[in-house]
Amino acid sequence: MLQFLIQTAWFIPCYPLIGMVISLLWTPSIIRRTGPRPAGYVNIVTTFCAFLHGVVTFPSFWNQPPQYINITWLEVSGLTLDIPLEISSITLGAGIVITSLNLLTQFYAIGYLEMDWGWARFFALLALFETGMCSLVLCNSLFFSYIILEILTLATYLIVGTWFNQSLVVTGARDAFLTKRVGDLFLLMGVLAIFPLAGTWDYREMAIWAQTAQVNPTVMTWLGLGLVAGPMGKCAQFPLHLWLDEAMEGPVPGTILRNSVVVSTGAWVILKLSPVISLSPIALTTMIAVGAITAIGGTLIAIAQIDIKRALSYSASVYMGLIFIAVGTQQLNAALLLMLTYALSMSLLIMSTGSIILNAITQDLTQMGGLWSRRPISGLSYLVGTVGLVALPPFGTFWALLELIDGLWTQHPVLVGVVLLVNALTGFSIIREFGLIFAGERQQMTVRSPENLWSITLPTTILAGTTLHLPIILQKLELLPHWSVLNHEAGFLLAASSLMGCGLGALIYVGNRFPKPVRLPWTSVQDFFAFDMYTPTLYRSSIVSGVDGISRLTDWLDRKVVDGVVNWIARTSVTTGEVLKYGNIGQTQFYLLTIITGVFVLTLLLLRSLL
Amino acid sequence: MNLEFFLLLAAALFCIGIYGLVTSRNAVRVLMSVELLLNAVNLNLVSFSNFLDGQSINGQVFTVFVITIAAAEAAVGLAIILSIYRNRDTVDMEQFNLLKW
Repeated sequence: MLQFLIQTAWFIPCYPLIGMVISLLWTPSIIRRTGPRPAGYVNIVTTFCAFLHGVVTFPSFWNQPPQYINITWLEVSGLTLDIPLEISSITLGAGIVITSLNLLTQFYAIGYLEMDWGWARFFALLALFETGMCSLVLCNSLFFSYIILEILTLATYLIVGTWFNQSLVVTGARDAFLTKRVGDLFLLMGVLAIFPLAGTWDYREMAIWAQTAQVNPTVMTWLGLGLVAGPMGKCAQFPLHLWLDEAMEGPVPGTILRNSVVVSTGAWVILKLSPVISLSPIALTTMIAVGAITAIGGTLIAIAQIDIKRALSYSASVYMGLIFIAVGTQQLNAALLLMLTYALSMSLLIMSTGSIILNAITQDLTQMGGLWSRRPISGLSYLVGTVGLVALPPFGTFWALLELIDGLWTQHPVLVGVVLLVNALTGFSIIREFGLIFAGERQQMTVRSPENLWSITLPTTILAGTTLHLPIILQKLELLPHWSVLNHEAGFLLAASSLMGCGLGALIYVGNRFPKPVRLPWTSVQDFFAFDMYTPTLYRSSIVSGVDGISRLTDWLDRKVVDGVVNWIARTSVTTGEVLKYGNIGQTQFYLLTIITGVFVLTLLLLRSLL
Repeated sequence: MNLEFFLLLAAALFCIGIYGLVTSRNAVRVLMSVELLLNAVNLNLVSFSNFLDGQSINGQVFTVFVITIAAAEAAVGLAIILSIYRNRDTVDMEQFNLLKW
């Protein structure tokens, strides 16, 4: 039995796919009698199957060489498109993280969507995400990664647009789709450009190719930039970051997954591509710059938000920026570890705040407060998420960031500073949210706020437990550095930066020492970050207005010039007929005159040829 | 006495006939102009037969035929004018423009 499960490890993405198809049966227009709930239950069962399959097979791949499976997808002359699958401890581990987070989120969604009838659509989309992410981590080919990324882009459009009767949802879904699509299209250029060079889309073979590749540096730069641009959109990196903010219009369970794992899909691809991208120093520098700008800008924006979901969404961009920095400086293990610890902590934070939102109705941080005594479980979960997310020893992200700045220590001291700064600012921003939600005076929206029902609280607490246990799990798996090789200064600096950020946040926002809402003396700076550096205006004044202007122009050209020429020909012949019919004047004598003139002219012509 | 003079005279007569044919408002005068044309043609035929074909005078035979046919044509033409006159009570050519565009 175990052998069979190991052989069929590639079956993991298929369970949620089956769940997707089945749950669509409970669409309100198909099965009316039972209500929408079975859709959710079916999905939990299929997700649990996928999770179980991953967990059972994981130990047999631990410290074993990966297994590769090739499935031929298409054979045409000169091109064979294989689907190569890599079954290894890393891919299975990622699959376990994805399926377990999905399982918890789906439990959460059962509580959260209690009053919603659209379960079939929502759960089918969650299952589609799960399928896509599991196949992405198992699939070992750039081409099929691209296909999956595009499918996930479409799924993002649909899941953000779940409640499509709200106008902000529609615009948010539109922006999410288009922004990610632009990145995907750049990625497609890179995907197509790398094939003539490497002759393969298999990540393994591309890595082997990259070791000895002699490519024109200019070509490699453009190729590298194309390959970076796709994940840039996926990971909500500057300047393609607005979509994640607007995607917060979707339901909270979707948000949990989006912020923790879906944005990581781009990071996963860029991680796999890092041998290729490392051929181009400019692309690496671009990655680092984009990551650093996003990380710093994102934390500053997150601090200035008053919407709880949006504040956390900018933190998602921030951590993806850190992963960009890690991949840009070839710290692949640190990036992988950061993806893991970040995914758990961020899901926990969003689960906890989502649980608050469900009862407090408002998402406005300025209208919340004083929930600590009423919502201890949510509050504790939030704190666990916080310590998991900022680098506080001994919790997960500390080790990830420690490994990261340990690698940066000698080569890129500036980036060490960036990571420390970002860490401190994130600590500040997360504690600020904590202070505004849980500390201070109770406000009108939060006067009565009970803990939620078990199906919301249970996954939150399970995830909190997992986040707390993560260092122990990592130690059991021997993924943590030994005490003797630890970079103690780096660890100290990290812990100090987190404590400083969190402490400052606590000082200002927990307690009544400072009047709230806090206003900076420079209002324009505060507004600048609160309005997301005016990115919507930037988009509208640059790309959107440009494309809009050009499309209006081409539309005008099409209507007036292209159509106009054809219509002009038709109109001319009509007009000519209309005018020339007056030659039939009705006067017999005029006809005679015409005949005589004709004869006369013809005769003249004949005579001229004769003479 | 040259052939050219006769031909020029005939051409002048033809032109006068055409002028009358195109400009007359009276239908009968149109027919009269047609007669002028035919006479111009006849003049041509006779003068050619005289100057170029004095032996077999084919032109004069033609002329006889033309005169005959012209008489018949004038008869039919007048009949047509009469029948139009009966319907429309006028012989003004400007009133016969029903078949326009």
